[in-house]
Amino acid sequence: MEESNQYFELMELSPEASLDQIRRRYRYLKTLYAGDSIEISALHDDFSQELLADYLDRLDRAFEKLNALREKNKAVAATVVRNEPDPELQGWIAQIDCFDGAALRAVRERLAVDLQAIFTVTRIQPRFLEDIEAEIFGSFPAEVYLRSYLIEYSRFLGLESQRVLKDYLPRYREWIASHRGGGGS
Amino acid sequence: MTASAQHTTIWAVGGGKGGTGKSFLSSSMASCLALQGKRTILLDADLGGANLHNFFGLIRPRCSLTDFFEKKRPLQDLLAHTGVANLQLITGSLGSLESESINYAQKQKLFRHIRALEADHILIDLGGGTHLTTLDTFLLADKMVVVTVPEITAIENMYQFIKSVYYRKLKAIFKAYDLTGLVQDIWKDRTTHNIRSLKDLITHLRSGSGHISDIFEREMAGFVVQLILNEVRSSKDILTGENLKHVCVNFLGLRVQYVGPVSYDPAVQKNINDKQPFMLFNRLSPVVKEVRQVTDNIVNDTPFTVPEELLDGRI
Repeated sequence: MEESNQYFELMELSPEASLDQIRRRYRYLKTLYAGDSIEISALHDDFSQELLADYLDRLDRAFEKLNALREKNKAVAATVVRNEPDPELQGWIAQIDCFDGAALRAVRERLAVDLQAIFTVTRIQPRFLEDIEAEIFGSFPAEVYLRSYLIEYSRFLGLESQRVLKDYLPRYREWIASHRGGGGS
Repeated sequence: MTASAQHTTIWAVGGGKGGTGKSFLSSSMASCLALQGKRTILLDADLGGANLHNFFGLIRPRCSLTDFFEKKRPLQDLLAHTGVANLQLITGSLGSLESESINYAQKQKLFRHIRALEADHILIDLGGGTHLTTLDTFLLADKMVVVTVPEITAIENMYQFIKSVYYRKLKAIFKAYDLTGLVQDIWKDRTTHNIRSLKDLITHLRSGSGHISDIFEREMAGFVVQLILNEVRSSKDILTGENLKHVCVNFLGLRVQYVGPVSYDPAVQKNINDKQPFMLFNRLSPVVKEVRQVTDNIVNDTPFTVPEELLDGRI
């Protein structure tokens, strides 16, 4: 388990939370515990200045860490996007004969970017990227969503998006056809 | 918790303080489920202060839980029609002086009978207070619902209630795993262990042994309290529910899901006094829509989404 997960847990956010969400949650929690609202004063024994100080300390640290992590991801993602095409990499990509989920994953791993970094640029949730790579087609009820994700994702990886669509979408359509036969769910 | 063969979902509605609208919300949510075509049973478990029948204009119910305890009639036989399709009611004990002192065997029998009822949803309306029978009935449920209002006294009682439930649940777990006494012993020596709160107690227990931590993980996975904030009069009140959720997580170590606010509306009181089922008779009150939303959120296990402007303090 990643170290950052405990910070997300403390802030009661999912690991997919954006920088904006992290900042808003931090502000909200700070405001909540700064005042003497009825929600807090009714706690009596379960609340003291000591407990509060301890909590706020951990909150500040979590916020600092997550803030730094998001900034770093942004920077990593930005360099990947700006990178000049590497001839060796281009040669390797040229050999791929079908851009299925596994191929997309291979390209991404070769570029050494994690899904979180892609999310910061493309705003595609990591779980959808994972499902694209694993070809869990059931996660995409409509082709139009999958299509736009694929375009964004292949652009990010520096691939020709039309080519990726041409290879990937028939696989999805075939799956949908075989699962919608009986009316589907 | 194991779902019974017929997939009955048991709901319990509690909250510690009387007068926060538990009975109103139980009967309205039950009506809401029944109107959606779900076979629903409403059980008035307010031992000593049963009054759910009033919400359906039933003035003097023929049978009640008293018949179950004293005349040994099966629970199934006590079902009364409410006038709402798909919705049946089991009235609470009426006029029984001994109602607060149900013994262990009676309680177990009641729980067995509740589980055996045939329905899609069983909603149990609990009384106020933190009586052990109340806590155990609450823990019987798949959907543990707590109702409070944005007033300090009600909030105090709500904290007390969910803490008592939590402590009771812990004790049951440790009893089941033959670790009886441990929780109480640690609690007694809490100053030496530097335990300042229930949350500290849990952390202490979990850090002490991997075995206990595993048990805890497994048993508490589904322990989520669903919070309804009733009698909301302003946007600031709506936020109170969200604040309570965070306070429970941060300072009590308890998972709470805020399923929604329900507005204050004098029409509710009028309907109750006129003995009319609110969800059937009232078409105009915002409360109707809110109750539907809250019910759906609980069924689907989805939280209420607090508007961003409220969280940012822009309102």
